[in-house]
Amino acid sequence: MSTEEITEAMNLLSAVESQTQDVTKLVDHLLKKATENEYNTSKGISFLELKYQLLLSYLMNLTYISLQKSQGSSIQDDPAIDRLIEIRTVLEKMRPIDKKLKYQVDKVVRTAASGGTDSSDPLRYRANPENLISKLDDESESESEGEEKKSKIYHPPKLTAMHYEGDETEMDKDQKVLERAKKRALSTSMLRELREEFSEGPTEIRETTSTQRSRAERKLRERTHYEEENFMRFSVSKKDKNEMKRVAGLSSLNNLTHFDDISALTEGRAPQAGGSSKKRKHGGKGKKGKKGFKKKRIH
Amino acid sequence: AATIRTRKFMTNRLLCRKQMIVDVLHPGKATIPKTEVREKLAKMYKTTPDVIFCFGFRTKFGGGKTSGFGLIYDSLDFAKKFEPKYRLQRHGLVEIKKTGRKQRKERKNRQKKVRGTKKAKVGAGKK
Repeated sequence: MSTEEITEAMNLLSAVESQTQDVTKLVDHLLKKATENEYNTSKGISFLELKYQLLLSYLMNLTYISLQKSQGSSIQDDPAIDRLIEIRTVLEKMRPIDKKLKYQVDKVVRTAASGGTDSSDPLRYRANPENLISKLDDESESESEGEEKKSKIYHPPKLTAMHYEGDETEMDKDQKVLERAKKRALSTSMLRELREEFSEGPTEIRETTSTQRSRAERKLRERTHYEEENFMRFSVSKKDKNEMKRVAGLSSLNNLTHFDDISALTEGRAPQAGGSSKKRKHGGKGKKGKKGFKKKRIH
Repeated sequence: AATIRTRKFMTNRLLCRKQMIVDVLHPGKATIPKTEVREKLAKMYKTTPDVIFCFGFRTKFGGGKTSGFGLIYDSLDFAKKFEPKYRLQRHGLVEIKKTGRKQRKERKNRQKKVRGTKKAKVGAGKK
């Protein structure tokens, strides 16, 4: 042993001596107080009781070991060491629990020190975990996001019920189209006249009302009615002006020779889309050239 | 040759006037000018033509018939009070001062280059 170590050991030993004197004084004081029943420990926290019991036994074993060592006897395979290890592990396990109980213990100590509990003490109230949950569905959103990322196929949103036509074959579709064409052909002016010819009821003579004319007439009537009611004049837009010109002009005469397509009944096939379709805006088949001449279709 | 017929006659006490729809029949002739219509209406309703205001004459397709609106005021003061300025201008009772269209548009374009209250000063600086 070197001189530094000797001096260090001497210092440590003297420190130990002084500290033991202090500790014995404190312990005697506590012992006197405990025996005199000044501190009532019957209602204490059992966890803390366990803790100090463990600490005491640890100390006892430690002192025994140090005694053995100072006497020079070996401490190998000493059961005291096993006990020490066991107590040490238990103490280590107790440490996190101690940390969790720290708040409670401090509160109890504070109440013991202050003598009583104030009912309006703000620290008495616990937090309400339900107030901490946000009312928004953040969690469910995050879950659905995860699911979407899994399947990259685009699924359009289902807003309204859509017509289902998956089970129809090509033949069915053609049949349906043909049926509709037949129904439409039956209500053409030609067949209506034929029916009237062979029917036995009295003949009705009605003013012929072509739909485009009637629509335009109705619109015009509404407009003039409004104008006369409110003492004002509308400014006619270009679109309306052109429509009025078209209805009242020469192109409307072409309708006389235009007959609907009844190939659905005569030939049993649906009419081609390029021919007459009801959605056509122009009344007749002719198109107006530059000088107002109509191009005649050569069949 | 022109015949005037009135339809939907109504006495509007709130605006101190009589209002009606005027139908003019003029077969074979062009549309009759408003001044003549006013004279004819004055004769029909026994007033002076200066309190009569007519507007909105539209000739029907094919010609021969024109319909428009006519207002007959109780007095010229009421007419000046209630009639819109453009119709008074047609009779020469009011002068609406207007700078030329080109001048107005150029001023507007000059104003576009400036922001805020300076816009009012821009118009004065005409080059």
